[in-house]
Amino acid sequence: MKLEQTIRNTLAQVATIANCELIADITDDTVLLQSGLDSLGFAMLVAQLEEDLGIDPFSQMQIAVYPRTFAEFVTIYRQAQQGGNE
Amino acid sequence: MDLLQQLQQANYSGTALTGSEQVGYQQLIAGAIAIRLQYPQLQKQAIALHYTTLPSFLMALLAFDGWSSALYLLPETALDIPELVQQWPSETSVKQYSAIHSTIGSQETRWYLATSGTTGTPKWIAHTFASLSRAVKISVDQSTLHWGLCYQPTRFAGLQVLLQSMMSGACISDCSTGDAEQRIEMMLSSDVTALSATPSLWRQLLMTGRLHQLPLVQLTLGGEIADQALLNKLSALFPSARILHIYASTEVGVGFAVSDQQTGFPLSWLGTNHSGLAFKIDGQQHLWLKPPHTPDSNLAKRLDSEGYLDTGDLVQIQDDRVQFLGRDSGVINVGGNKVHPEQVEQVLLQIADVLQAKVYAKANSVLGQLVVADIVVTSHTDHAKLQPQLVAHCQQHLARYQIPTRFNFVDHLSTNATGKLNRKEPHG
Repeated sequence: MKLEQTIRNTLAQVATIANCELIADITDDTVLLQSGLDSLGFAMLVAQLEEDLGIDPFSQMQIAVYPRTFAEFVTIYRQAQQGGNE
Repeated sequence: MDLLQQLQQANYSGTALTGSEQVGYQQLIAGAIAIRLQYPQLQKQAIALHYTTLPSFLMALLAFDGWSSALYLLPETALDIPELVQQWPSETSVKQYSAIHSTIGSQETRWYLATSGTTGTPKWIAHTFASLSRAVKISVDQSTLHWGLCYQPTRFAGLQVLLQSMMSGACISDCSTGDAEQRIEMMLSSDVTALSATPSLWRQLLMTGRLHQLPLVQLTLGGEIADQALLNKLSALFPSARILHIYASTEVGVGFAVSDQQTGFPLSWLGTNHSGLAFKIDGQQHLWLKPPHTPDSNLAKRLDSEGYLDTGDLVQIQDDRVQFLGRDSGVINVGGNKVHPEQVEQVLLQIADVLQAKVYAKANSVLGQLVVADIVVTSHTDHAKLQPQLVAHCQQHLARYQIPTRFNFVDHLSTNATGKLNRKEPHG
């Protein structure tokens, strides 16, 4: 849960800097590219999370995985964190 | 032979484009001839072409190549035109109509495309039709493709896709506007089988979770450096498709395609000819290319004694590949949009508290690169208060992709012996 909260906080921060207006209620099923964040905002989110969490799962993949929903996005980070702790 | 004559000779009978309307090749040809007949006063004139819809744009290209003296493809941003030109679509009504007026093209048209110049100010680059269409492949396979146009049609990359589709007798649909969800919707509804897009757009299309539903047989990546994870992903989704990543230098007017689904290009290409080009790397790690044709006079001065041109792109040999590292000039590529660090620095320095600024690229797994700024501010400045001011000021003076995504407050920025910012040094 802590990870998801971190991602949500970073998302809100980045949206402000990126001048994106997020939709009111972001749930597990929210499609990322319809959350109000555009591709630049999404790129900034991944960059900021790399600073906050020390990982960028998208740059470490041999075959890239592209998340469609918020839940898929969180899962990719959770798996990357667990992979890193093993 | 001009474009219209080439299409008349090819005599394609199928559909040239679909979208809000479906237009056949014979209709395009008839439309182009009608333009030449109705506007004889435009012959041998310089014409500035505004993009309205894909059918009318294609008809105008057909009508004016070989018929007008110059053809300026107006980008979405305003740009001065250096000579007396006629605007198209024409605002003036038909002044004269003459059925006996010749509609046969008789001259070589200079094509002008806008490019971001070395200073960040857009400028016109002249091309011949022969050079623009050099990469076009004509074959039975190509004629069966249905292209989704992802680039602006007035830009170099978009025009390449248009010419490829039209000259090979394929079909094309305009998918160049809207977000990734809207674009994939358009592509699915028109059963697109061939796409050319930046790696960044490919990533966004993958994020829709629906890219695999497209019956793609040809995938092209260009405008940015392609990464291996993306190539692997596309290859896994479309195992029997032809996947190319292309390198093009708009200014040098040359390019080549790599089809082995590995990043960079084979080391064995150095010292041999490939795609009509010869390759070499100099001591500064710059890639030099020797074009098959003699470039125009502006570029001819930049040829070395062996006929090579400096692309300004940095490369590195890794095992049996030559890998691209980016522009030596420091130009930042944000998802295919070029950002000139100096231009952003000038905007930051307009703020009184900012004493020094250095803008550079940070690698990003989504858009390739993002813009980052290191700034030195006056000692009494409250960083927390300045940050929103910086963002607001940038929003007023820069395009969104040019605005630094991060500001690092640093104590000093090192300069070289001539007093210029040291751009090669690690960033703060």
